[in-house]
Amino acid sequence: MSTTVKEPTTDPTPADAAPARAAHRTAAVLALARVEARELVMQIPVLFFFLLEAGLLVWKCWDEEGMDAFPVLNTVDRDTQSGPLLASIALLICVNVAVQRDRRNGTAQQFGVLPLEPWRRTLAHLLSVVPFALLAALLVAVEYGWSALKPGAVGHGSLGELAVGPLMVLLTGVVGVLLARLLPSSLVPILFAVAVYFLITSLLMTDGAPEGVRRLAPVLDAGGGGGDPVPSDLLGRPASWHALYLAGLCALLACAALLVAGGRTRALKAVTAVALAVTAAGAVGQLPRDTAALEAARKTASTAPERVQSCTTRDGATYCSFPEWNGVRREWAKVVDRVRAAAGAPASDLRLTVRQRIDTSGGLEVDSTLAPSTTPGEVTVGTRWGGNRVGEFAVGVAAVLVAGTEARADALCDGRMVTVMWLALGSDPHPLTTFRNVRLDDEVTGSGVVLAPTDPLSLTAQQTEVLRALLDRPRAEVTARVKAHWRDLTSPRTTTAQTARLLGVPVPKGVETCADDE
Amino acid sequence: MTPAPTTLTASGLTLRYGGTRALDDVSLSLTRGVTGLLGPNGAGKTTLLRVLATAVPPDGGGFRALGHDPRTSAGRLALRRELGYLPQTPGFHPDFTAFEFVDYVAILKELTDRGARHREVRRVLEAVDLSEVRGKRIKRLSGGMRQRVALAAALVGDPGFLVLDEPTVGLDPEQRMRFRELVAEAGEGRTVLLSTHQTEDVAMLCHRVVVLAHGRVRFEGTPAELTARAAGRVWSSARRDPAARAGWRTGTGTFRNVGDPPEGADLLEPTLEDGYLLTLDGDSAAVTA
Repeated sequence: MSTTVKEPTTDPTPADAAPARAAHRTAAVLALARVEARELVMQIPVLFFFLLEAGLLVWKCWDEEGMDAFPVLNTVDRDTQSGPLLASIALLICVNVAVQRDRRNGTAQQFGVLPLEPWRRTLAHLLSVVPFALLAALLVAVEYGWSALKPGAVGHGSLGELAVGPLMVLLTGVVGVLLARLLPSSLVPILFAVAVYFLITSLLMTDGAPEGVRRLAPVLDAGGGGGDPVPSDLLGRPASWHALYLAGLCALLACAALLVAGGRTRALKAVTAVALAVTAAGAVGQLPRDTAALEAARKTASTAPERVQSCTTRDGATYCSFPEWNGVRREWAKVVDRVRAAAGAPASDLRLTVRQRIDTSGGLEVDSTLAPSTTPGEVTVGTRWGGNRVGEFAVGVAAVLVAGTEARADALCDGRMVTVMWLALGSDPHPLTTFRNVRLDDEVTGSGVVLAPTDPLSLTAQQTEVLRALLDRPRAEVTARVKAHWRDLTSPRTTTAQTARLLGVPVPKGVETCADDE
Repeated sequence: MTPAPTTLTASGLTLRYGGTRALDDVSLSLTRGVTGLLGPNGAGKTTLLRVLATAVPPDGGGFRALGHDPRTSAGRLALRRELGYLPQTPGFHPDFTAFEFVDYVAILKELTDRGARHREVRRVLEAVDLSEVRGKRIKRLSGGMRQRVALAAALVGDPGFLVLDEPTVGLDPEQRMRFRELVAEAGEGRTVLLSTHQTEDVAMLCHRVVVLAHGRVRFEGTPAELTARAAGRVWSSARRDPAARAGWRTGTGTFRNVGDPPEGADLLEPTLEDGYLLTLDGDSAAVTA
């Protein structure tokens, strides 16, 4: 354009005719972001999946099991990460459709000459997904807060782990916008979601993938899928670095979307550079380091937990736990006290040591069975507490009181099993329910396997019959007989029939054999 | 009489599409009020409007509108802040209501105060007589209503420069009359450039007219001046006069001829259309109809 153009004779723009037009471009972007966010809320997939997530959360809080009263917060924080997955995918698709609205509806031409440029409109779309990330953060906060505020909550969660869910929502939203700018087609986001799913599951999350590569996935391998909780310092999860990596990635992809849409400001270029640096720092920071030290710490916690535990003594019993579980000791003590109270001397005076133990030899993902302790008077307790674990612990305490060690209790195959089960259940407020819960088959008749913190015990049909008869008798009467015949009841030579006679209940018919068990 | 102040001056505008010169050294000036842009299909009307609406930069030449030079990004932004553009086939977001759509456009025009913006949206919807259906989704509106929604979107923010590309196409006569009224209202105090095929639109609405053919300006003046070009050059005959530049059979069975009349011809009162046809000088297909 080289021609010289005449100046107009006047500038006739009527200043007083303009409506309230605050030429504040940021305000316009924010106003547009609000409109776009409202439009997104009205999209059925987004609405449905966020409501579903909220509903599941309410259901989770409402429908609690006994173990939920003692949540281990370093697993609760990780459990929040997969919650918004479906809502994230819905958001990716819907925001992608929203960005392509102008192209689809043919408004690009008339909107192209409006003051708010395409890249600022892209910024508004990016900002429109922020409320959904905040909503996800709120749901995460409710889920975690609900657990953390419980009196039995164990340990603490990680802000980095808690941030992953909301950051994933933000990331998928940003990816949706970027895809719409790069490849404007309605099929692209769906294909992308499927491709990413397969990429993550088939490449990043396989055992063969290097740890550094696996950590590039948005959600780190849960690392606690089936395994019991472990102390936080043994997790070896670079939660904060990973959250930083995700935050940087969100910012970087958002900047890419703005650049593709024509944003060329100096501020944007600077933010892009910073986002790139943050993403790189996060990616490098989360790389595995000093794995030998971590492995050594896990081994110590598994094989010599006394080195990293503290203990307290109460009423002749010592309770040793990993630091985060100190608050649960009093719950263990309640069980120990009531089981011991039903036992005869000298068992009631036996010095017990309740030792919390874990087994990480197979990895944190594996639910390993703890080996029975050979130390006299030592009772194992795991890292989960509440619900069925209480009854199982009572069985473990009773078994050590009767057999002396967990290892010896493993081989109980005589009348002593009746004594063990009576001690565990006799003082239980709901003995039959607990009995059903500690049995693997959830039955209260016939032979069965009884769960304990270490190896399970076997119960014959005859022993079950005697135990049921005892539970039907007045507790004080049975307790008095148990204390009176303690020596015989804990003798390996006493059969189930003899135990029944000693405790004043009918002798079961049939030949007793340990082969009768499951 | 003092001439109206010039609000837009274009000089030497040129734009090529491949080997075709869509605009060929177009120079014109506009003042407040409605200016009609006439021309046959392919004359370059839409291209000129797109250039003046800053949708596409010209290859050569330039223009200033409302004191802004769109060659600079600041000037372009300033002009866009005062521009209302209604393209030939406006798009809509069908799931938006009329109010939501115009409100959306208002945000893109940087009207950020929510209360003031909503008042402005209600004002323009009322101006185009759509208050009753403002809560209705656009996909449920008739074609005429949609066209008025598009006009409302162009009018929102009270732009000083309105560019309307064939806004009456597809409207029935009643809707067209209503639309003319709206455009006439919009032309009060604004610079409106209205592209149209319809000489009636220009005759009824415009205080100035520009005729474009093959990307060049063939005429620039008032409708009366365009009509005056045909004074003494329109005549009636029983048969098509081979000397006429254009001629067509009328409802009475006689032929209306435009051109250089033979001596003693039965001269007729010229119309704007006659002047337009003479200006095209055989460029339009209509001329030989």
